[in-house]
Amino acid sequence: MTVIILIAAPEGLRGHLTRWMIEVHAGVFVGNPSRRIRDRVWDLLATRINDGQAILIEPANNEQGWTVRTAGRDRWHPTDYDGLILSARQRA
Amino acid sequence: MWWKAHPHDLHRLADRVSSVYVERSHLDRDENAVVIINKRETVRVPAAMIAVMLLGPGTRVTHGAINLLADSGTTVCWVGEQGVRMYAAGLGPSRGAGLLNRQAWLVSRIPQRLAVARAMYAMRFPDEDVTACTMQQLRGREGARVRKIYQAESRRTGVPWNGRVYKAGDAHAAGDDLNRLLSAANAALYGICHAVIVGLGASPGLGFVHTGLATSFVLDIADLYKAEYTIPLAFDLASKGLTQERDARVGLRDRIAQDQLLGRIVRDVKSLLTPTGTELPDDELNQLWDEHLGTVAGGVNWATNSDANPLGPIDPGMGDEHLAVIGPDFDRPAPTGPRR
Repeated sequence: MTVIILIAAPEGLRGHLTRWMIEVHAGVFVGNPSRRIRDRVWDLLATRINDGQAILIEPANNEQGWTVRTAGRDRWHPTDYDGLILSARQRA
Repeated sequence: MWWKAHPHDLHRLADRVSSVYVERSHLDRDENAVVIINKRETVRVPAAMIAVMLLGPGTRVTHGAINLLADSGTTVCWVGEQGVRMYAAGLGPSRGAGLLNRQAWLVSRIPQRLAVARAMYAMRFPDEDVTACTMQQLRGREGARVRKIYQAESRRTGVPWNGRVYKAGDAHAAGDDLNRLLSAANAALYGICHAVIVGLGASPGLGFVHTGLATSFVLDIADLYKAEYTIPLAFDLASKGLTQERDARVGLRDRIAQDQLLGRIVRDVKSLLTPTGTELPDDELNQLWDEHLGTVAGGVNWATNSDANPLGPIDPGMGDEHLAVIGPDFDRPAPTGPRR
């Protein structure tokens, strides 16, 4: 299963993504796209997210069972703690 | 047009949900999403995950919605209630012809065609070995099987059965109430099978057992389900004194929804045309056939010796030579003055 979160996405990007995945909550998308389609969707999101943020969580063959990609302006950023991915937030 | 999907962005048919049925709603485009709007709610449709959108009574579709559905490689079929009776279908250009090519290949070679026909009969005679039967033997066995089913249903419901009376070209002209109910239920079943076949990108016209009609393959597929669906239904209705053709359509609709027959038809059509292990080519879609190389890239000017195409790939379009009826701009005031 793949989860994508879009924060402050430009007009039309969320709607576009609903053609491939189901928006279960504002900006939260769930689906089962194939690896190829995941990569292609991600390329499109990363180039168009501008000042928003896109976060993609996908299954991975690691201890945690998943991995994360981010694009756009960081609000949350995944941080690697000895192989464990934790999510960090900038202190204002 | 950044939202245009490339063939590589689209799920293969095998990976899609079979169908979504919509009625009494509007289909529109909202911020690059396909949306279903009705009095109760707004739903966004993951069109690229769906094989067929079935539009039932009371639906309206905008041009923008069709644009996105076609771009997503989703088939659109206009159907009666719950998919009974298919009126029309549309399939966008963004899909490979793999299944269609395979169907044409199978149907035009006698051994392969016979194998598919036998597989269809084998679905109906689960305990018998038909691998060595000729078409003549299979037709005979099928006739005997159907006759037995009619007699068994007659005993079960107590409705007398005097044989199937069917006049080609006029399904409801001949016969008693039971025969009329059967014809009406079968017509509805054909509609569903037709929608699935078109939706998968196969041809309704290339039949294996039936031949000649534009819906030959539809008749082939529908015959797989008559013993389970339309025949028992017709006897049930007749025993209750329900003799309207509408009763047959509604009754079939309910049984289809209850058993999720649509998904089963999709699986059956796919497994008949692509037995396990056959992979349909799914990569480059715009190709030119070559008798030695198999295929070469399309959209390229092959007059030069280089593969490079300075113009970029040519998108095959419709051209501009068609009649147009164009409504007035919305902001122009209506002409006032005496009407002639």
